[in-house]
Order: sequence, then structure tokens, then C-alpha cells
Amino acid sequence: MSGGLRLEQRYRRVLRLLPGYYRERWEEDMVAAFLDSWLTGDPYTDECVLEFCKPAWQEVASVVLLAVRLYLGGAGAPRRYFAWGQAVRYTVLALLMVHAVRGLDGLRLVFLVRGVHPLGIVPAPPAVMAPVPGIAWPAGVWYLAGYAWIVIFAALVLGHYRAARVLAVMAAALDLVWLAQGQLTGALLSPFGSWAFWLLHDLVPVLAMAAFHRDAPPVRRWPWLLALPAIYLLVAVPELAATATGHQAWVPDLPGLSCILVAVLCLAHAPRALSGRAGTGVWSLTLLLLAAVAAVYRIASLGDYLQGHYLQDPHLITVGLAELLILAAAVTLVVPDAARAQTALPAPPPQPQPG
Amino acid sequence: MTGQAFFVLTALADGPRHGYGIVGEVAELSQGRVKLKIGSLYGVLDRLTGAGLIEPDREEAHDGRLRRYYRLTRDGRGALAEEAELRAATARVVRARLHRPGPQAAG
Repeated sequence: MSGGLRLEQRYRRVLRLLPGYYRERWEEDMVAAFLDSWLTGDPYTDECVLEFCKPAWQEVASVVLLAVRLYLGGAGAPRRYFAWGQAVRYTVLALLMVHAVRGLDGLRLVFLVRGVHPLGIVPAPPAVMAPVPGIAWPAGVWYLAGYAWIVIFAALVLGHYRAARVLAVMAAALDLVWLAQGQLTGALLSPFGSWAFWLLHDLVPVLAMAAFHRDAPPVRRWPWLLALPAIYLLVAVPELAATATGHQAWVPDLPGLSCILVAVLCLAHAPRALSGRAGTGVWSLTLLLLAAVAAVYRIASLGDYLQGHYLQDPHLITVGLAELLILAAAVTLVVPDAARAQTALPAPPPQPQPG
Repeated sequence: MTGQAFFVLTALADGPRHGYGIVGEVAELSQGRVKLKIGSLYGVLDRLTGAGLIEPDREEAHDGRLRRYYRLTRDGRGALAEEAELRAATARVVRARLHRPGPQAAG
């Protein structure tokens, strides 16, 4: 019956995906249930099953989903996993806010430009949402794709997780079509930056929305909803002022802006992070995750400058590296607090509704 | 309470069951509509245990492995009764509306 160990070992290997504390409590029970689901009571058949069968992919998928829910913990989870869960949830909201801010900017430009679509139905899409030149998609599609992210952000904040997830998948798919078409026709101005943006701001948040599960504590609505116009003004006002005064060259590109914005948030959070007070660590962890996203986006988009895809100005690479240095310096202020977040958080709220 | 939790509590209403026994009972209760995967089952069991609605009953050796049985707690029985009443009340409302003459029949 040495073969019997094989199926059991395969299941134990799958269960290694689960956090240690959970395995300690449930592993034996789960293995027994898994094996029970196979065994027939007939010795010969059972021996063959134990020897040759492998865990079904649906069972593996259910364990993977359970692992994601446990690592990105919610109410009742151990502090370490609760901290990671909250940080990932805040990071998703922040990344969706980037899209939503772009959507708001698109709205502003629509009202500002008041261009008219050839069909006379909707104005021409603004530059931030403009389709790849030469591709004849209806302008309305790009409007919807751009504005959908505002709705997705609001839906997530208001607790409509499933609706947000479905819309996000659709919007990300549309963005992917846009990118793929641009890539195939050679019309993408900045392929490295565009693909990095899609991966980091579409795919990553769509996948990380798994953190918004049944045990996730509700998002504090008003601070997040008010943060959207606040961040928009924080970005748009200086940009408009620079443009109006003829200093447009000082306006950083989106990756640079992301680095600077995260660095500013790190600096603003640093006094609390350095105070050693409990309860600040989740935000430090969130800023660490956002800094990682901003840094990867900055580094990837430098590829466009190096390849001469976009603006051919060697100073842009220097500026990009300076932005990375500023980001790295600002992040070091919150790193110790982020490390403490996994042990020094206040107790998570009590269990929500069962099941 | 989610549908899965409701079915798991119902499966335990007439006596303790082990993990795979619950899966089988839920499939039977739901006439095959709810097929719990083991990962999902233990997610539900973990929540219900944490909420104090179920608890371990006993362990039995079976084919060289230990099967752990679970039973409803007093709170679990109360929560199940409350949920069943809620669902029954909803079903009564739905049935009443379905049997009420609609605009077409009235007109």
C-alpha cells in the first residue's frame, strides 16, 4: 500500500499552499475528506486510485481560492494576514483611483474641447482615451472604457464587489484589445510604458480584487470617495498651472507622477509611521506596495526612452532615475513601520456573518 | 447566511457528520445543485466554527485515518431555525405573489 501515500502526498503538497496556522488546524481533516471522496470500499479499485489518481483541478482551484482568502485575511484572521489583506485592498483602491482620475480628466477634456464626433452623437475622445490612430473603433467604446473605471472604483468602495469585479474584467479586456491593436499596427507611442500600465493597473488590481472577499471589512466610504476628487485636484491643478504659465516641460509623465505622488504620500505618512503608534502599519504596508508598483512602472517605461520610442531626450532618463531615487528615499521612512504591521496591529474586528 | 453555510448547518441538523459526509449530505439535500468542493467546505467549516455555530464532536479511525465529526451547537441550531424561518417566509411571499392574478389575467 505504499502507493496509497502518493495520492495523500499529492494532496498534502496542494495543501502547502495554505498558511501554517490553518494547516495545523485543518490539514488532517482535509486530507481525510479528499481521500474519502475517491475511495470506493473495493480494495483493488482503491489501491489503483491511491496509486495513480491525482487531485482534480477543481479541488486544487478550491484550495487556491481558500489560500488567497486566508493570506489576504479579513475579520477574524491572524494579525499578519489581516494586515496584508488590508494593505492589498487599499492598494487595489489606489490603483483603481489612478484609472478613475484619468477618467475624470477625460470628462474635463470633453467639456473643455467640445469636439464633435463625426456621427454627431458624442464628442471625439480626448487624448487620454483616444484610440490608436487608424483604428476604427466607435468613440463611445473608449468613453465607456475610460469612465467605467470611475464606476468600478465607486462600486468597490460602496461594497458591490461582484459588480466591480465583472466591470473591471470587461474594462481590462477592452484596454487589452486597445493595446494589442496598437502593438499589431505599430501605432503604440510607448509600448513599454503602455504594457506596464496595463499589467500593473489593469491586470494586477483585477486579480487582487480577490482580497475583497466575504470576510473583508467594509471600506470606509467617505474618505475614499472624497479622496478621488482630492487626488484629481492635487494632480490636475499643478499640471494646469504649469501649462498655463508655459512650464509644460516641468510636468512629469504618468510613471514619474506616480513616483512623486507615492513619495509625497510616504512623506505625509512618515510622522505617524515613525511615531511607533499602533495601527499605522497597514498604511505603511500599502505605501510599500504602491511604491513597488510605481517603481516597476517607472523602470519599464524608461525602456521607451532608451529605445527612442517616445521623446528622444536623454534628460528624461536622468529625470526618471531621479524620480526613482526620490521614491526610494521616501519609502525608507515607512519600511520599519510596514515590517511592524504584521505583529503590532490592533485586534481585527469580530467575525462577520457566518458562512 | 450564505447558501453553502445554510446547507452545511442543515446537513448537521440530524446528527454529527465528518467532512466528506457533509459534502454528500449537502449534495443530497440540494438535489445535486450544491456540490461543495473540499476547499470551499473547510472555508465554511472554519467560519462556522469561529462563529460558534458548530463544534467538533468526536474522532473515529477509518482506513488508518482519523475522521473528525462535527455537530451543531445550541447557537448553531438557533441560527439555522432563524434562517429556515426567514427563507420559508420569503418563499410564502413568493408563492402568494405567483398565485395572485396578474395584470393580464385581471384584464
